Amino acid sequence: MKEKIVKLLSDALPIVDLDSDFLFSELDSLGVTTILMVLSEEFGIHLESTDATSKNLRNIDSIVKMVEDKLKA
Amino acid sequence: MNRLIDRIAENAASYPGKTAVIYGGEHISYADLLGRIDVESAAIMQAEGYAKGSGIVVQNTQNADFIVRYFAIHKAGCVAVPVEKDIPDARLEQISRIVAAENFSDEIADVLFTTGTTGVSKGVMISHRTIVANAENLADAQGFAADVVFIVNGPLNHIGSLSKIYPTLLMGGTLYIIDGMKDMNQFFGALDYPCDKMATFLVPASIRMLVQFSAERLASYARKIDFIETGAAPITQADMEKLCELLPHSRLYNTYASTETGIIATHNYNSDVCVAGCLGKAMKHSKFFITDEGSVACSGDTLMSGYIGDSEMTARVMRNGVIYTADCGRIDECGRLHLTGRADDIINVGGFKVAPSEVEDAAMAFDGIADCICIAAKHPVLGTVTKLLYVASDGCEIDLKALASFLKSKLEAYKVPMFYSREEKIQRTYNGKLNRKYYL
Repeated sequence: MKEKIVKLLSDALPIVDLDSDFLFSELDSLGVTTILMVLSEEFGIHLESTDATSKNLRNIDSIVKMVEDKLKA
Repeated sequence: MNRLIDRIAENAASYPGKTAVIYGGEHISYADLLGRIDVESAAIMQAEGYAKGSGIVVQNTQNADFIVRYFAIHKAGCVAVPVEKDIPDARLEQISRIVAAENFSDEIADVLFTTGTTGVSKGVMISHRTIVANAENLADAQGFAADVVFIVNGPLNHIGSLSKIYPTLLMGGTLYIIDGMKDMNQFFGALDYPCDKMATFLVPASIRMLVQFSAERLASYARKIDFIETGAAPITQADMEKLCELLPHSRLYNTYASTETGIIATHNYNSDVCVAGCLGKAMKHSKFFITDEGSVACSGDTLMSGYIGDSEMTARVMRNGVIYTADCGRIDECGRLHLTGRADDIINVGGFKVAPSEVEDAAMAFDGIADCICIAAKHPVLGTVTKLLYVASDGCEIDLKALASFLKSKLEAYKVPMFYSREEKIQRTYNGKLNRKYYL
């Protein structure tokens, strides 16, 4: 799951440092929207723009957790 | 002279306790706002080297401090030069040098640096009369009023947001400042502010994000949202229709404006024709017509005074009180303006104009880039973004993150391409110029 998400996001946002622990602060609104779009399309999950919090998008692990939680819901 | 700062002072006298600006839980009344402007203005006038008519660079802080400093500069009889929060140092120094060399007449209020209609970054001089005309145009056409709380989410140094500060404070309304649309919880938090009427300006990419990822939540504010304005970049027909469906009681405007022309025309697509590209009729201080070549030309009190230090460039776009834009358009049988495209190479990224040649020049200075072209690319959510196609020098591997960081150190953030693609060659015309049409 993590590798798949890293691959998807690397393709969509090639210049964003996905290893960062401060991912949300390094993204702009276009980057945040792109992440929501890519994840909702790939995993068929229902994401709200309010899911794009600094907690959920802190790093790649928190993104993986958000997707896993949505898949369980 | 008719200055907005004097109108704010009148509002402070008429209703001193009314909230003028909200930011991060801080509420600033009109009296407090004017008091802070007075203190700042006195400090400017006492500073070493102060001279009436000099330009003062004011970096965006995206909070009330920027608004205080901006109007304090006007009050001190100086010219405000607003710049981005994250402006590269070299660019800031360049702008400071350009501004320092100029002696402004007392009519000039601002110099706004933009790519604009010429494709080259230029300082656009804006007069106090223009600021008031822009404010009155919007107040009259869109219904800015004392009981409206307006959420400003874009960068305050850009005309898109500056031009919303004007009618809000002119009419005695309330500005609610948030720092961008990245954190939607902040945006919805602003919409929760206890009042009857809220309004905002959203670029088309933000509208796309809201209708796609927050439709239900947005619809829950349908009774409270008085109006939403969009503009700066084309909005799709589907997004317009979806927004009308979610907010059936709100006025939804699509506006034609630029730094050089000011705020020219607007159209409520939720009560009249809902057609993409329709930008409505001219506002009260403005006029437009279509030239024989099919481009839009504008006149009226909202036009710029000229480009700083470049009368030749000014004469290229502005003659006899008319600005000739690079936008192509037509006027329908009801006198409404419709935009159909652009007659130049400028790429519009979410309302920010990017000259591809500027990006290419910066990229060519990066080690290992042998050739490149910056083109417009379609993004399913964001609309138009930029993409850099590059050819690497023999044996070179380009580190894209290093390239992007390099570009960010040379250019404003919105000019840094979102996508990159390595190519074998870049198409050029027979005389060696980049073949931009090939990539359309």
